[in-house]
Amino acid sequence: MKEPVRKTKHPYLAGVVIACVVGAYVYLIASEEKFPEPGPNLVYDIRKFEEVDHVDTRFAEMAPIALNLEDARALEIDGEGNLYVAGKDAIEVFGPDGKSVSRIPVEGTPTCLEFTPDGRLLVGLEDHIDVLDGDRKRIATWGNFTERSMITAIAANEEDIFLADAASRCVLRLDPSGKVIGRIGETDEARDIPGLEVPSPYFDLAFDEDGELWVVNPGKLGLERYRSNGDIVTSWYRASLELDGFSGCCNPTHIAFNSKGRLVTCEKGLVRVKIYDVSTGFFEELVVGSRSFVVPQGVRDMIVDASDRILVLDPRKNAVRIFEQTETQLASHAKETE
Amino acid sequence: MSERKKLDRRDFMRGAAAFAFTGATWMAVGEKAEAKYWQLDPAKCTQCGRCTTHCVLNPSAVKCLNQFDICGYCDLCFGYLQPGSRNLDTGAENQLCPTAAIERWFIEAPYYEYKIHEDKCIGCAKCVKACLVFGNGSFYLQIRQDICINCNECSIAKSCPSDAFSEVPESEPYIYLTGDTHLAHPPT
Repeated sequence: MKEPVRKTKHPYLAGVVIACVVGAYVYLIASEEKFPEPGPNLVYDIRKFEEVDHVDTRFAEMAPIALNLEDARALEIDGEGNLYVAGKDAIEVFGPDGKSVSRIPVEGTPTCLEFTPDGRLLVGLEDHIDVLDGDRKRIATWGNFTERSMITAIAANEEDIFLADAASRCVLRLDPSGKVIGRIGETDEARDIPGLEVPSPYFDLAFDEDGELWVVNPGKLGLERYRSNGDIVTSWYRASLELDGFSGCCNPTHIAFNSKGRLVTCEKGLVRVKIYDVSTGFFEELVVGSRSFVVPQGVRDMIVDASDRILVLDPRKNAVRIFEQTETQLASHAKETE
Repeated sequence: MSERKKLDRRDFMRGAAAFAFTGATWMAVGEKAEAKYWQLDPAKCTQCGRCTTHCVLNPSAVKCLNQFDICGYCDLCFGYLQPGSRNLDTGAENQLCPTAAIERWFIEAPYYEYKIHEDKCIGCAKCVKACLVFGNGSFYLQIRQDICINCNECSIAKSCPSDAFSEVPESEPYIYLTGDTHLAHPPT
């Protein structure tokens, strides 16, 4: 006897189910990632370099000074503790309490500022310098120092004014009237001068507590000390990715001395502010490491005030960030050293 | 009472042909829309490495360029040398580039020029990141329009974590690096 054939009431149901399964499979295959992720050999991992400075420091960050300036580039402090911050077309002056007190108009964007011992304010504007008197009025403009100049730093004492010229890759020595009377740091085998290597417009100089001129040799990742006549006295270089050295193509970008005669340095790329014994070049301590800054970054300027607070001009935050040893930290450090 | 003429097939074909001819003529003589090409913005690029692996071409159409007016011509070039290289020379063990696409040329002591051989470059951006972090940031990636096949949906753009890809007009097919690009770089 023949079995009766069972007929479904929905003859298309099986076909629809099969089509759905096949469709879902095809969709999943099609949407699957076809491209592999780049392996470790194709990625530059900077975390291991950043971790080097992830250590505790004795410095704490204070409330920053927010700027109402475009393209802020330079810092300076006068004898009364007023902070001068130069940006596009203006220098903003802040009182010792951090409040804005005045604004000095300038033509252009200053790259550096410096007070002379007689109270004049020298404003570096790439290839020339505007000289402002005590009332902050322009009384002179000095220029045409070399065929091409990029003035990145100024240091002045009673006798001389020194300009760090990144374009000419040397330090220009000026008399108090602005006349060029010498060039420092150019290669001279007879005088045992290796030559300043300046690959970028980060080129700084400063006087130490004895009034000696220290010049950064950024390409060699170190410092050189010169006499005003251009003779080199000493030098040290610290090329290293470790905390005690300088990394990258051109560092340190900025230097300053604190009241104890210690050298404070600032680096770009992985921003690190550190303290060195300038005479030996020995690393002493970290002020602030790269985790406090957006990486990569070039800090625009760094100075040390009379209270040994370290002021850093941060272009990403458009603010002056202040790092200071707190009393608790000072006390604990004193205890440690005992 | 007038009798309405019935539209036959021949009339319909004539009308359609006239419409098509008019449209084609208008498109030919009218203002032509500018072609668009895929390009990546160096200010947004985070050097993730996907330009190497996610392009439909192999090697990728994304190549590294050196903006010479930003380059420091450094002896110690982090874009060229492995971090911590003992010797600053062209030894293979010292080179950062996985395909040795960067050539180091002596200019004058102590400055060197770094040329990129695009036929070897795979667009991994290792040199770009190293130069950006430790140097002047003169290396940057661009899609070479003479190599790119301009896919309708760029597979790198689709997977770019920083949304750096966009379509640019034919008249400006490249986005060049400027001094301000460095500051505009996003956090890594």
